[in-house]
Amino acid sequence: MLKILDFFNYAQSESPWIVHFCSGCCSLEMAAATGPRYDWERYGYMQTPTPRQADVMIITGLVSKKILPALLRTFAQMPEPSYVLAIGACAYDGGPYNESVSVIKNMTEILPADAFVAGCPPKPEAIITGLDIIKEKMRKGEPSAASQGGLWKQMNF
Amino acid sequence: MELLFNILVFPGLLFVLLWALFVFWFSRKVLAYIHKRVGPHYNGMGGSLQTVYDFAKLLGKESITPHNVNPYLFGLIPLLAPTLAMLTLVLLPWSPNLVVVNTQYGVLALVVLIGIEPFLLFLTGFGSNNKYSFLGGIRILTQMISMETSFFMAALAPALLFGTMNLVTIVESANWLTTLILLPGALLFFIAALGILAQPPFNIPDAEQEIVYGFYTEYTGTNYLLLKLAEFTEFLIVFAATVTLFFAGYRGDVFDGFAVLFFKMLVLAVVMITVRASTPRIRLDQMLRFAWTYLVPLSFLNLAWVLIAKVYLLGGS
Amino acid sequence: MQQLQNLIAGFNVSSCEPYKQCWIKAKLTTQDDLISLATALKANGLTSLITVSPTDFPDDNRLELNYFFEDLLTRRNAWIKVDIPRELDACQIPSLTPLFPSVNWHEREAFSTFGVRFIGHPALEDIFISEDFIGKFPFRKGFDWQAHEANLIENMACIVRGFEREHAINDARMGKGSHTTLNWGPTHPASGPLRLRVEVNGEDIISVKPDVGYVWRGLEHLVEGKDFVGALVAIERICFMDNTNAMICYAQAVEEIAGKPITPFASMMRVMLGEIGRVVSHLMGIGGFFNTMGLVTLQMWALDVREYFLDVLEDYSGARIATASIEPGGVRYPLKLALLVTLEAAIAKYEATRSEFYAIFINNPTMQSRATVVGIITPEMVLNNGLCGVVARASGVKTDIRLDEPYAAYDKINMTYMLAEQGSAKNRFEVLFKEVDQSMDILKQAIADLRRGIESGEYRPEKDAMVRIPKKLPDGEAVSRVEWSRGELMMHLVTRKSDETPYRLKIKAPSVNHTMMLETLLAGKTLSDIPLVFGSLYICQGDLDR
Repeated sequence: MLKILDFFNYAQSESPWIVHFCSGCCSLEMAAATGPRYDWERYGYMQTPTPRQADVMIITGLVSKKILPALLRTFAQMPEPSYVLAIGACAYDGGPYNESVSVIKNMTEILPADAFVAGCPPKPEAIITGLDIIKEKMRKGEPSAASQGGLWKQMNF
Repeated sequence: MELLFNILVFPGLLFVLLWALFVFWFSRKVLAYIHKRVGPHYNGMGGSLQTVYDFAKLLGKESITPHNVNPYLFGLIPLLAPTLAMLTLVLLPWSPNLVVVNTQYGVLALVVLIGIEPFLLFLTGFGSNNKYSFLGGIRILTQMISMETSFFMAALAPALLFGTMNLVTIVESANWLTTLILLPGALLFFIAALGILAQPPFNIPDAEQEIVYGFYTEYTGTNYLLLKLAEFTEFLIVFAATVTLFFAGYRGDVFDGFAVLFFKMLVLAVVMITVRASTPRIRLDQMLRFAWTYLVPLSFLNLAWVLIAKVYLLGGS
Repeated sequence: MQQLQNLIAGFNVSSCEPYKQCWIKAKLTTQDDLISLATALKANGLTSLITVSPTDFPDDNRLELNYFFEDLLTRRNAWIKVDIPRELDACQIPSLTPLFPSVNWHEREAFSTFGVRFIGHPALEDIFISEDFIGKFPFRKGFDWQAHEANLIENMACIVRGFEREHAINDARMGKGSHTTLNWGPTHPASGPLRLRVEVNGEDIISVKPDVGYVWRGLEHLVEGKDFVGALVAIERICFMDNTNAMICYAQAVEEIAGKPITPFASMMRVMLGEIGRVVSHLMGIGGFFNTMGLVTLQMWALDVREYFLDVLEDYSGARIATASIEPGGVRYPLKLALLVTLEAAIAKYEATRSEFYAIFINNPTMQSRATVVGIITPEMVLNNGLCGVVARASGVKTDIRLDEPYAAYDKINMTYMLAEQGSAKNRFEVLFKEVDQSMDILKQAIADLRRGIESGEYRPEKDAMVRIPKKLPDGEAVSRVEWSRGELMMHLVTRKSDETPYRLKIKAPSVNHTMMLETLLAGKTLSDIPLVFGSLYICQGDLDR
């Protein structure tokens, strides 16, 4: 029985589908990661048009206050188990927009990320490496950080 | 016993599952090649295990039934759609001595069973309680109505030429000359089939950039997997039907058998993927105009051509 | 020009003088004359009012409004200033939107950020700012950002309430026949962070109302807290698709106020880096255009070529797209000749792929049947709505800042306007392609010039890269324009003596006016045309919201 469950975990880790949601500039590098030079489909990553079929949500850099409810809603629409990857300095602490009031600066406190990729914007190979950390987590069957806690559970959206 | 084998293994469940795994991988790989990419690569030989993992993952995901939908309609269609699609498999001659139901009404049953499938997909859109799904449902219904006329007409061409609706007889009596005569019909059949399968350039019902994912929008996990399985089974049937009706089915120049049929189906798959990689989607009204002003008259002309050819080239009877 | 100066001088002005080669700068003494002056300017051919930029002077208790009128055809521009009182009740001025439709959203922006009420504006609603800033006018000098930040929870609740209000309206409209409201974005696969509220009857569009501000970062306010070089961090992030040209624009404004011309070597380097930025952006744009019709092959091929140009930027600056390679005073790094070899390899890569692009995509019959009939923009629309760049040129309007008001070393470059006739979506796509070809040509000229200059000893690539710009600038203001990849980018920079930070920076970005056009272009079309028209207008949400 354990073996079968392991297989399903392994299967999930080898086919993370990523919801098509962009809230900031890092999505440009995400597009580059789909392109011929980096081609993340080699590892099984794929973009899906709707959150209903996705496993991983990528917070692409900055999240403004206005888009936050839409982002949380999209995450809530994803079926369990679902994971979050935060890329770019903005997703961590606002990055270059740290002094701007219209940008969320504690994004990973609101929606805890399973992995964080530094950079402004991070290079495509860094994004793929960041996704590897999430793969590892799926393989072990660990629950995602966002399902464990975070301010988003208390928020109304 | 043999029937059980037919249902569970070939040409039934297991075969369909293997085909779905294969064609999903194959289309991704060919598409990636045209995109100058590699496509699935690290899982198994040339990424061949990739789709196994994809399917297994979908089985393990949570299946969400959205708020305010009719749970029976929403849950029933994903079961009905692949079942109905698989029913068609019994009609087709897969190799010289394997056809499960050898009937005199083969062509008729085939086109009817293929043609009914989009209606089920319309019901998924209808039952999803989502504006985009609903639009996708309406679109697939519109497309089905306009494409099926020429689809039926084109499928009639071989029946007229050989004077029978029995698929085995059609395959057995095909030769180079009849294949040439049926070539325009094959083209029409394939174009109309692209419309029914909602493949580019007719992928209007699940147009990602316009209506998110059409009727698939709300489906998750196993339900989505079953709908995809239905779609891939449809591919299988349409390819096999095209080959059987127009390109002499399992019969080859050197030897006869399932391998020949499969090879011909792969050629069709490559053609379909190449069209997908090089043709943008058309508008709904353009599709309607194309179907009714070109495709339908042409399929009537095709019938006339087949009759003339039968009388003057084959000596009629 | 003289005639224009005489015309403006005939009004009640306190100053009226030529500015740079194609501007007349004047200050009205009273706002009563504004309407009559604007009418006279419009009658004289200055039909585009590209933006209105308020500057706040709390010490003198006034807001200074800067209006920028342009005539795209004869290159005569006017910069009209007028003072209005600063108190919120008295802070009002006649609206110019009825005369110049191009200024509609710019006036709304000035209203939401500075509280200027425009009397006679058809719908003076808030735009760009998120719900929690409504009625607070955040760009005024006295606004306390920290105090606003303190009620973060209440602010978020405010945004969510707006979100729910919208939902309630949508739900109330559901189930009434075939009329419904579709929210095309911000989570839609093709929209990016922007929302179109689309009223549809089945597949037919009744009206489209854009809802913007999803990436509003308050860049114009952000630079006020940074020094003149540090401001680049915000400037280059207007839009990452083309980041070099935006920095050129800002650097020029600072250099103008500091009175320090840059070296000929640095200006040629700017041409080279600017064109690389344009190519990188255009390759993304042409891919995006076909993407809107469900075909990603072109995007993949274009991404392939784009990587080679990003290699050049990476070799030069260390970063692929956030290069920070141009700063006031010149360019940041000296030039190594190996860079030119990398660039030549990239150009060769494009030229090897070019014929495939043309054969399969430019002449694609399916694309033509869809794209030639939608999104048609006439030359009159271009002139009246302040459209620029690729969109304007695709309608046959000869406008290109690189030729109209040459900056950097574009006066040494041999180039022409890249035009098309009908102004349809397909023409815009075609012009994008032509411009990539043109940029390749310019890049080759720039490489040749750099090689020649270095060989003859005219350029010293190690020493000429930078001129020192003082940390503090004198009192002054400058207007700087560049031809950005998406169109005309204009910055209005105001500095104060002994300040180490910009006092006010107004960024006029092309996507604002282009997004305004969506309402007109999409009315009466079908749902399938939304992504196509949207994609062909080449909008970047980053420079739309700033």
